[in-house]
Amino acid sequence: MIHHLRALAARLRGLFGDRKANQELDDEIEAHLHSLAERYVRQGMTEGEAAWAARRQFGNITLLKEANREMRGIRLIDTLSQDLRFGARILVKSPGFSFVAILTLALGIGANTAIFSVVNGTLIKPLPYEESERLVFVAEQAASGGQAPVSYPNFTDWRAQNRVFERVGVFNSGGYTLTAGGEAELVVAGQVTADLFAALRVNAAIGRVFTNEDDRPGAAPVVMLSHDLWRRVFGGDPQVVGQRILLDGYGYTVIGVAPRGFSVPSGAAIWVSAGLMVAHRPDWQQRGNYPQFYGIARLKPGVTLEQARADLDNIAVNLEKQYPDTNKGRRVRIIPLLENYVGDTRAALRILMGAVSFVLLIACANAASLTLARSTVRASEMAIRAALGASAGRIVRQLLTESVLFALLGGGLGLAIAQWGVKLILAIAPEGAIPRAAEIRLDSRVLLFAAAVSAITGVLFGLLPALQASRPDRQGALKETTRGATGHKRLLRSGLLVAEIALTLVLLVGAGLLIRSFWQLRQVATGFDHNHLLTFNIALSPGKYPELERQIRFYQQVSERLASLPGVQSVGLSSRLPLRAGGWQARFLIDRQSAPALSQWPVMDASVVDVNYFKTMKIPLIGGRGFDERDDRSHLTQEVTKGMNALQKFVAGLRVIIIDEEFARRHFPNGDAIGKRIRINGEDPKDPVVTVVGIVGRVKMEEPSRKSNRAQGYFPFLQFPLGPTFIVRTQTSPEALMAAVRRQVAEVDPSQPIHNVRSLEQIRSESIARERFILALVGSFAAIALALAMVGIYGMTSYLVTQRTREIGVRMTLGAQAGDVLRMVIWRGMRLTGAGVTWGLAAAFALTRVLRNLLFEVSATDPVTFALIALLLFGVALIASYIPARRATKVDPLQALRHE
Amino acid sequence: MSKEKNTEAQKSEVLQGTLDLMVLKVLDALGPQHGYGIARRIEQVSEQVLQLNEGTVYTSLLRLQQRKWIASEWGASENNRKAKYYSITKSGRKQLALETENWERIAGVIGRLLKLEGQG
Repeated sequence: MIHHLRALAARLRGLFGDRKANQELDDEIEAHLHSLAERYVRQGMTEGEAAWAARRQFGNITLLKEANREMRGIRLIDTLSQDLRFGARILVKSPGFSFVAILTLALGIGANTAIFSVVNGTLIKPLPYEESERLVFVAEQAASGGQAPVSYPNFTDWRAQNRVFERVGVFNSGGYTLTAGGEAELVVAGQVTADLFAALRVNAAIGRVFTNEDDRPGAAPVVMLSHDLWRRVFGGDPQVVGQRILLDGYGYTVIGVAPRGFSVPSGAAIWVSAGLMVAHRPDWQQRGNYPQFYGIARLKPGVTLEQARADLDNIAVNLEKQYPDTNKGRRVRIIPLLENYVGDTRAALRILMGAVSFVLLIACANAASLTLARSTVRASEMAIRAALGASAGRIVRQLLTESVLFALLGGGLGLAIAQWGVKLILAIAPEGAIPRAAEIRLDSRVLLFAAAVSAITGVLFGLLPALQASRPDRQGALKETTRGATGHKRLLRSGLLVAEIALTLVLLVGAGLLIRSFWQLRQVATGFDHNHLLTFNIALSPGKYPELERQIRFYQQVSERLASLPGVQSVGLSSRLPLRAGGWQARFLIDRQSAPALSQWPVMDASVVDVNYFKTMKIPLIGGRGFDERDDRSHLTQEVTKGMNALQKFVAGLRVIIIDEEFARRHFPNGDAIGKRIRINGEDPKDPVVTVVGIVGRVKMEEPSRKSNRAQGYFPFLQFPLGPTFIVRTQTSPEALMAAVRRQVAEVDPSQPIHNVRSLEQIRSESIARERFILALVGSFAAIALALAMVGIYGMTSYLVTQRTREIGVRMTLGAQAGDVLRMVIWRGMRLTGAGVTWGLAAAFALTRVLRNLLFEVSATDPVTFALIALLLFGVALIASYIPARRATKVDPLQALRHE
Repeated sequence: MSKEKNTEAQKSEVLQGTLDLMVLKVLDALGPQHGYGIARRIEQVSEQVLQLNEGTVYTSLLRLQQRKWIASEWGASENNRKAKYYSITKSGRKQLALETENWERIAGVIGRLLKLEGQG
């Protein structure tokens, strides 16, 4: 190896003009010899004698050349290559040590690199737009201070009056039934103003993006396709521009394909112009109505966030004066666009980064303690080196070269682990848990991070042992080769082990708290029987089913067909599935209460369900009756509906309500809810007043981690036919019936796409997926930490046994029993574990509060968890020190005494 | 043959650090010189007392050059051969002054010490 390096160095020298320097030296020597020889000839020597004498006078030419070359800077490379060569030899010579050390470091570096890749892709990397630091997210700020969607008329005022935005656009999303040749399917559409693309400076991959022309009322309806949809539905046809597709039965012309990966709003498969649609959407034109629009703007160059906020707030104040009814207290919320995507994730990522850095520290402590153990074995080597004149600096450099070599090898292996780890993380991450997931990869910044972490790790774990070795007790070490460990060194090793155990305990407590929290979440009562339920949606095209009656008939037909399938017990309909945030929150007022301002009315989670819903979900009826066929819209005679607009007419169908037990307890504490009348949703005198006909059990409407005591109300589907979700109770596994369900729906109407086919068990599992995900990550870090700590304790005890073989032999000769030896060795391991656990408990007590927001009904300092984890560590330590302790009892006293 | 051996035994080895000092002094006193010239001058001044492997002059020259105490430049020698001429630099003069002072101090100490022992 050294020859190769030398050859390489020589070649490098040749490249950089060293060959010239050598040639010059040769010339000088030649000239010198010549002059000397001439002089000798003048003094009377023959030419041959003179040349010989000149050479003698000059000295050894080869040696001179060597010395000169060395002085021209080859020395550093030589020592480095010497150290490297030596390090490599050490590595190969003790494969066990090398394997454990490198694997330990690889785990630490790999886990850190994987998490850093995620942090890099989400938090650090700029958004993939031109000058993305000027992009901001724009929303309204409610009087309460919370973020709220944008009312379209407010947006147009902002757009017209602001002086800080280069461009500002809004978007929301809607579902459309797409028909483009083949089967109809439901797609998510971004309904956007043309400025959105301009603000982001996104251009079409093919064709063009929207222009202000497309935004004008009365413009021809046009559509943009996502890259994915274009490939999937149009086979990547480059001639797609100009083709016509049907959305909800209306014709649109394709104008372009968005660049690959572009998805604002998230999940959008197509984009249509919001400006164009406003004319057809009276609800959007209403100020004070919030159809889930949000804005994205590009700040003018040089405009700060504060200036933008001040400018827009100013406009908002004026709007408040102009429209006090709708805009009271409403302001504008402007945050960096990146912050909008990653804001929620930052805290969780920080915790993960912290947890994983603990793993690295533990790995470092482990590697350092392994190296220390080895340096004891190598104490005589170091003493000989020092005795032969190696300076302390030289020895430190050699040992550091070794440890950095190990760390870099660990880093290389770690990169492979990281690549695999990132894939795994992205695969198990629930949807939305990691924003910008598509942008996560091992890029140059991640590689740099891995390299830096490896190098720092190498120095970190190598420095202590190296400094230790550089000032050995030379005479002592040379004399007693087998008991070279000084008390100082032993203390250092013990300290490392204690630190390692303490760090492990903190991680384990964190994981333990998350496990307990997760277990609590699993225990949350759902209020229904979630087994054997299959759910799906049908997107009914309003073009094909314009009247309510036809829609209702369609749903009823499908329900009846499904109910008659073998294996199906019953079929229900509901506007909303439990265990997911969202849905319809309706304001209400108990009739004959004095009417406060609308904003003071209580709110309920409102669902619309059919007659079979409670039976299908197995939600118990506590009082009154369930819905039946008579709860329909037949009371809406011509006379009643005279003078009503479409919306009023739709709402006017409501006559009855079923409430949950919480609703009844809170608003009818006397238990007389049945027959009471409740006003729904507003000050319009035509708003419905409904009668309570029944009381049912409470259902967990949102994710189990969200606590809500909001009242729950149910309206009959036949009176208020909101597009429902089908819920099918099956006798066996719900998945087995999926195909049959699809067939039945297709037989009623093949042009209406069926989507979101899932079991309720799946939904339940998704509702705690985020918690499961974080638990999985922290849990695996804790598991790695525990494994490393086990190796550490095992290594420490084995080392101790080797060190004290002689002492053990003496003790046994003097009559100590195997049990005494066992106790002695284990006691030592347990004492260190005890110290580590104590420190760890204290650290955990201080640190676990960062988990508080992730914990559900578990205190961050839950004593049960703390105690169990401490016990677990003691157990593990016992096992890890028992094995070497057993070996100690097998010591043959005579052998041990001859050990020296 | 035997006579030669005898002379060699009487010559003293040149210490490494002192050679550097000598080279600097020669360049300071005589101005730009080539390696052969420097070797001759040292030989001349030492009056055959010092045994010098003349090749080591070049090692010394390289060392001094690396420390930027001397500079070099190609020129023509007396007999019109191409030769490299070395000259002392400003920092070289400073170093020379420093080393000279240092040398004199040590030489003084050793001298006194030897005298004392001689008397003792």
